[in-house]
Formats: sequence, structure tokens, C-alpha cells
Amino acid sequence: MRLLEINNLTRSFGGVLAVNDVSFSVDKGQIIAIIGPNGAGKTTLFNLMTGIYPPTHGTIMFKGTEITGLTAYQIARLGIARTFQNLQIFNNMTVLENVMVGRHIKSKTGFLGAIFPVWPVQREEREIVEHSLDKLAMVGLTDQAMQPANSLPYGRQKMLEIARAIALEPELLLLDEPAAGLNSTETRELIDTIYNLRDQGVTILLVEHDMETVMEIADRLVVLNFGNKLAEGTPYEIQNNQEVITAYLGEEGSGC
Amino acid sequence: MKELTRRKRLRHFLIALFTVFIFVLPFFVSNNYYLSVLVVIGIHTTVVVGLCLLMGYAGQISLGHAAFYGLGAYTSGILTSTYNISPWLAILAGAMGTGIVAYIMGIPIFRLKEHYLALATLGLGLIIHVVFMEEVELTGGPSGLSKGIPYLAIGNIVFNTDFKYYFLVWTVALLAIILANNVVHSRIGRALRSIHGSEIAAQSLGVDTGKFKLQVFALSAVYASIAGSLYAHYITFISPSPFGLMTSIQFVVMAVVGGLSNIWGPILGVTGVTVLTEGLKSIVPQLIPQAGGEYEIVVFGLILVIIMIFLPEGLTSGVVRLYEEWRYRKERADETS
Ligand SMILES: Nc1ncnc2c1ncn2[C@@H]1O[C@H](COP(=O)(O)OP(=O)(O)OP(=O)(O)O)[C@@H](O)[C@H]1O
Ligand SMILES: [Mg+2]
Repeated sequence: MRLLEINNLTRSFGGVLAVNDVSFSVDKGQIIAIIGPNGAGKTTLFNLMTGIYPPTHGTIMFKGTEITGLTAYQIARLGIARTFQNLQIFNNMTVLENVMVGRHIKSKTGFLGAIFPVWPVQREEREIVEHSLDKLAMVGLTDQAMQPANSLPYGRQKMLEIARAIALEPELLLLDEPAAGLNSTETRELIDTIYNLRDQGVTILLVEHDMETVMEIADRLVVLNFGNKLAEGTPYEIQNNQEVITAYLGEEGSGC
Repeated sequence: MKELTRRKRLRHFLIALFTVFIFVLPFFVSNNYYLSVLVVIGIHTTVVVGLCLLMGYAGQISLGHAAFYGLGAYTSGILTSTYNISPWLAILAGAMGTGIVAYIMGIPIFRLKEHYLALATLGLGLIIHVVFMEEVELTGGPSGLSKGIPYLAIGNIVFNTDFKYYFLVWTVALLAIILANNVVHSRIGRALRSIHGSEIAAQSLGVDTGKFKLQVFALSAVYASIAGSLYAHYITFISPSPFGLMTSIQFVVMAVVGGLSNIWGPILGVTGVTVLTEGLKSIVPQLIPQAGGEYEIVVFGLILVIIMIFLPEGLTSGVVRLYEEWRYRKERADETS
């Protein structure tokens, strides 16, 4: 089943074409990697898909309905969650509370219920806590649940963002450079978590520079270069694609 | 989760303890002047608790809260003195009306962020203040309402002394604190704090940040309005002067001094700033006889700068941090010796 369909997506910033006429689609249950040199437009693509800003041209279809032009929170409610390349942890909360925000759309207490926490409100609160603890367990952060989120080391904070994102039970999860800054053990854990999520039916789209990781876990890859789609295919096809090799060698392999 | 329950119990215990303290305190204060200061502290605490929800938790700012305080006071004053409406109904009407005004005015204002938002709320406050000054028919203009505002009463109990009013005001202030505490530790409170933590991440988790900013702005305006009504029925006379920019700044200073994201912040901030300004009121005229009221703004400015430099988290969390640093240093010293 087609989960996501991107058609002729374009976004320019002033004169810069950050994303230029990019089209591809994602089937349910796949792990898709988006690769490309620095500044290729990968993060911009994620921002367009999650409604941070609208595209200049083009459309995005999710589960057969158009989501172009929807706001970020509306898109999240449809089942797309994400993490950020530059961490966006809630530093003013504990680790657990960060994940609890991820349950926002799965719970419904309003202002009145918040002011007067009657029994159903308390029950919902307990459900939120239990669910969030489950997600923390998935990424191995149970013991740190009550710590301030910003007391975690960088690698753990990245895992916390994943826990928070999956707390809203998304169908599509976007990970922006999840392995950057992780050591090899942490990377291993990350890969296990990604497989775990895929097995639970979550479709995963990730941006990653670490080629070894990417080639190992991705079912398919989309290669961007200067905002354009350079190639698309299986890891084998991409590794043997002349254009891709040239683009990367042109950079002397730096930064990738 | 045990740890969560433990923390919740501790919070409830502290609130209970503080409640007892508050209701016992007036029996040991015989001086009427001190009682009246405590009443004013209670009224201001109610405003600042609301302001802290807006500033400390949602991370937004308002330099116009004295206007909402004034809207409550004027609604109560006008409805009871000119139209003879029941004071309690008038308080309710003021709270609802102010909440609605804040919500509607908030729609354009909260498209802005940071400095621009501060300026827009400041502008809103000034506009409302101008209405108090110019709508002479309704408000009596600069000289204030001409007819007296009645005292509040429940059955036969008339709240016409500082002692009696103290209990009324602090019941409201404690309710304000308890309800705010409920909000903070709820789904809504987390949504508000997430806006402060990272607006972009909050939205990506499905939080309608725009809606929550408006709602918390309206809630904080309702808090201010109720406090304003209590002020009107306490002083029984109102004029525009206590509802201007100076008071708005004073509220923000109180909030910042106490610490924005702690339920005890408002009480500490309001008490600290009030004691200081009351103290200055008696000292300054003796030291500098020709000084006008303007020195207050200088003092507020100074307090703000000093707090921002030395205790950016405010008194409550700041003192805790200083204590921990001191203990840490002491432990280190003990280890090395
Ligand atoms: N908000 C913005 N305003 C102006 N230019 C932008 C903005 N966001 C991205 N760009 C530009 O768009 C281009 C693509 O940026 P983008 O962040 O999408 O690249 P990327 O592929 O994620 O790179 P990296 O690997 O460094 O993360 C860059 O030239 C960048 O400078
Ligand atoms: Mg990027």
C-alpha cells in the first residue's frame, strides 16, 4: 500500500532551491533512507512533509489524502512523527514528561479537566504515564525517567526524541540523522530500535550520513544533491550508480 | 510509578502546610498596617500566579496584565455601584468578560513572538488604560468612580475589616495556587511547557500551540480580573492610576523575582517586592525629600537586573541551586581536607 506520495515537491528560500522538483513514494512497512551531501535539502524535505513550512510547488499525499498546506500539529495528528537533526528536547521537563507530551494527541483532558482533575482525568493521566514508560523502556531509558531531560548525554537525548515521537503511535516516522554523534554501541541500539519499530508496522524514513548503517538497514534509498533527486533504488543499485558515485567523489567523500 | 506519587504527595503536603500557616498567621499580626500589606500581597499573588502560568510555563510574556486587573476592578466597581448588581455576580461577569477580551485580543497579538509580543501586550494595556481614563460617563475618568463600591458579604458576614478580608483574599489566592498546580501537572500543563521548551517540537507532537497560548493568556487574564475585583471591594474606590504600565511591570518583576516555573515563586516574588517597595516608601522620602513616585521604576529596574544576573531562575529555584552549589563545594572541601 502507498503510504506516502511526494509529487514534484519544490521549496525555495530566496534564490536558493533547497528542494527542487522531487518526487518519490513510500510503501507501508519499508525503511527508506534519504542520503545526500550537506545542504542537499534532506532536512528541508522533512520540514515540508511535517508542515513546518509549506512547499513552493508540489503536493504531498499521505494515505491517499493531500496533506500539503496543513499545519504541523494537524499532520502529527494524521500519524506522522519525527525527530530533529538539531535536538529539540524539552529542557524544562523530565525525561518521562518529554515522552508524556508525545501522548498529547492520544489523550483528551482539556483546560477544565486540568483545573479540576476528577477521576476520569486521573485515570487518563495514569494511562499516559504507563504508555510513556513503555516507550522509555523500548529505548532503554527507564532508569532515567525522573531526571531532567537535559541531564542526559547527547546520545541518550537522541533516543529520548525517538521515544517521544513513537509515543504518538505514528504510522510514519521521520528520523533526521539519528546516528549522528552516537558511538558504536549506541548505533547498534538505534538500529535494533528501528528494526523493532518496523516489525511493529511503523514505516520509517531516515536521513543518514553513515553509509554503513544506511546500506545495512534501508530497503530503498533516495539520493538528493543540490535539492534535486539524483537517484532512487535498492542499496545495491545506489552503490553501483555512476551519478551517485560521481556526486560523492566530487566531494572527496568528505562530510558523508 | 512510586516516584511520581511521592512527588505528588510532597507537593500536596507542602500546600496543606502552607494553608495552615496562612490561616494562622493573622492571629499573630495585631498591627492593621501589616494586615493590609498581607491582604495586598494576597491579591497580587493571585495575579502573579496567573502570570507565571503564562510566562514560566508557556514561555510567553505580557506587559499588559494590569489592564486585566483593571477590567476586573472596573467591572465590579461599575456593576455594583452604578447598577446595584450583586458583587459576586459582578466578579463572575468581570472574570468572564476579561477572559473573552483577552482571548479575542490575543488572536492577533499571539501571532507575534518575544520582543514584538511584549510590545503588543504593552500596547494592549495602554489602550485599555486609556479607556479607563476617557470613558468618563462609565468610569468617572481620571478622578475615578464617584459612587462608593460596596463591601463583599456572605450572609451576615460583611468583609469590612482587614482581618476578615485577609481570609477571603487568601482563600482565593490559595485556590489560585492549587488550581494552577493542577494545571501544571496535567496534559494541558505539559502542552504549555512544551511550547516553552521547543515550539517546533510541540507542534510536531500534535500540540496546537496557538490555541494553547490563547487559552493560557485568557486564563491568566481571568486570574488578574478576579484579583482586580477583590481589590475594588477592598479599597471601595477605584481610579485608573493603579492599572497602568507601572503596575504591569511590577507584576512581571514579581513573577521574575520569585521564579517563573515554581508554584511557590509568586508568593515569594510578591512578598519580596512588596516588602521592599513598602520599605522604600518609608525610607526614600527621608533620604531624598524631593523624590517623586518615579524612583519605583528605578528600583524595579535594578531588582530585575540583579535577579537576571545572579539568579536567572528566580529566588525559589535560584536559592535551591545556590544551596546545592554550596553543599557541593563543602563536600569537596571535606574530601580534600
Ligand atoms: N529556513 C531556511 N532559510 C533559508 N535557507 C534555508 C533554510 N533551510 C534550509 N536552507 C537552505 O536550503 C539548503 C538545504 O538545506 P537542508 O538543511 O535541507 O540540507 P540538508 O540536506 O539537511 O543538509 P545537512 O546534511 O547539513 O543537514 C541549504 O542551502 C540551506 O542553506
Ligand atoms: Mg539536515
